[in-house]
Amino acid sequence: MNEEQMKLSKDVVTEGFGLIAAAGYINNEGGQAIADAATELIAGGCGTLLIDLEGTRIINSIGVSILLEIMEKLLEDKGRLAFCNLTPTISKTFEIMGLVQYATIFPDRETAQSKLIGNASV
Amino acid sequence: MEVVLHLPVVPNVELVAAKAVETVGGALGMHQSGIEAASVAVVEACLNAMEHGGGQMVVRMSTDDSSGRPCLVIDVEDQGMGFDPNETPRNSATRVHGCTSKRGWGLTLIRELMDEVQIRSNPGQTVVRMRKYVENAP
Repeated sequence: MNEEQMKLSKDVVTEGFGLIAAAGYINNEGGQAIADAATELIAGGCGTLLIDLEGTRIINSIGVSILLEIMEKLLEDKGRLAFCNLTPTISKTFEIMGLVQYATIFPDRETAQSKLIGNASV
Repeated sequence: MEVVLHLPVVPNVELVAAKAVETVGGALGMHQSGIEAASVAVVEACLNAMEHGGGQMVVRMSTDDSSGRPCLVIDVEDQGMGFDPNETPRNSATRVHGCTSKRGWGLTLIRELMDEVQIRSNPGQTVVRMRKYVENAP
């Protein structure tokens, strides 16, 4: 896999619940691509966002800083942000940078969806 | 084993260093999680060198088992103005929460993800030396 190329998809899974799948290098461009997708989903009425990082193995602090901005925007709107499929290093980085204080971390997408759907704010 | 990379300041060049960490760490038998931690740390060190170093940077990777514990040693060197490492406090989530700028995490992440970090900095040369022991998880 070319790590420089971010592969990203977004989808409204159910009313109020948006899913972003991102694989690749989360640098400033990757982080911004995720932020843009999140902004579109939030504007479309998604109060709960799940970001699946399966296939993402390398990140940098600039990209994660952009994710922090998404988190704050969601919190301002009383929304919820969750992540799944994090490597141990990405999980630790999120812990150090404070994302885990405000976002929920799930081991995989199936677990995340089963917990989040039904609790999604509309 | 030694790898020396002379890296220009071009977009995503830090991934070249990360790939070298993956190769050298793998050859050492380092656990995947340790390789990934060292990769993120070297990416952060390269980004700092590019932002503050004022030009080409040099990344050196070597192995050391002189203490009986094999480890990967990574030096990231730049020729910038230098800084006082004691004047760079650890960043924290509470400090950046609500702030417009959320930057300034590089050294904090490096110190947290690596087992040992030494910084020598003078005007014209800064070297960040990082060690990751083979047996340690991140």
